[in-house]
Amino acid sequence: MKSRKIFNRIAVLRQERNISRKELAEKIGVNFQTIGYLEREEYNPSLDLAFSFSEYFHLPVEMIFSVEPLKPLSEELKQLKGERHE
Amino acid sequence: MNSIQKSRRRALVFNYVNCIVLLCLFYLIKGGIVSKSYLIFEILPVTGIMVSFKNVFGKSKLWQLTHSTFQALDERETELVYRATTISYSIFAIVTLILIYLFYLGGLGAIDVVLAAFLLYLAHTLPAAIIAWNQKVVIDED
Repeated sequence: MKSRKIFNRIAVLRQERNISRKELAEKIGVNFQTIGYLEREEYNPSLDLAFSFSEYFHLPVEMIFSVEPLKPLSEELKQLKGERHE
Repeated sequence: MNSIQKSRRRALVFNYVNCIVLLCLFYLIKGGIVSKSYLIFEILPVTGIMVSFKNVFGKSKLWQLTHSTFQALDERETELVYRATTISYSIFAIVTLILIYLFYLGGLGAIDVVLAAFLLYLAHTLPAAIIAWNQKVVIDED
């Protein structure tokens, strides 16, 4: 079965929190190379792993992972705020 | 393909070529084609195998990866090892069949302990070799 490419914001979120791949890998419970593969979008995580990231970053899964290329977080937040005001 | 992957592939080819040289020399001596004194030259392919083994399977930790329990691996590594093992089963079956036929047609009889040892080595190294050959080597800085 051919799977779709899953885009993510792991690299941005990790850099925002100023943590290394090794530290993030330890918190999530994967090999640090797997974080590299995920950041380069060369590996699609399982649902369980996606939820682990969601719990760690305290963000909804759809804010971290998407099947469409992700916009910058600031842009998305602006859009969300606009939707709320309407 | 970067330089690490190139050198890993070269070392891998060197490793298996040395295995073939080792086996050929052994059977040439066993068959009486070459004098027994040439047995000393077996040290060269053995050294080659050991050195290249360290480079391909040791330093890269691929031996450790393919010989770990699934509980010790994360989901990406499990998938990687599973795929490599599946391919290695097919390659191993083909190599074993070819060797059995070669022994039968060459009049060498049943496979002996040396060939059995080689097949054991092949079975254990093939999954790691497949990963070493196919995996893109990226150095993650932190």
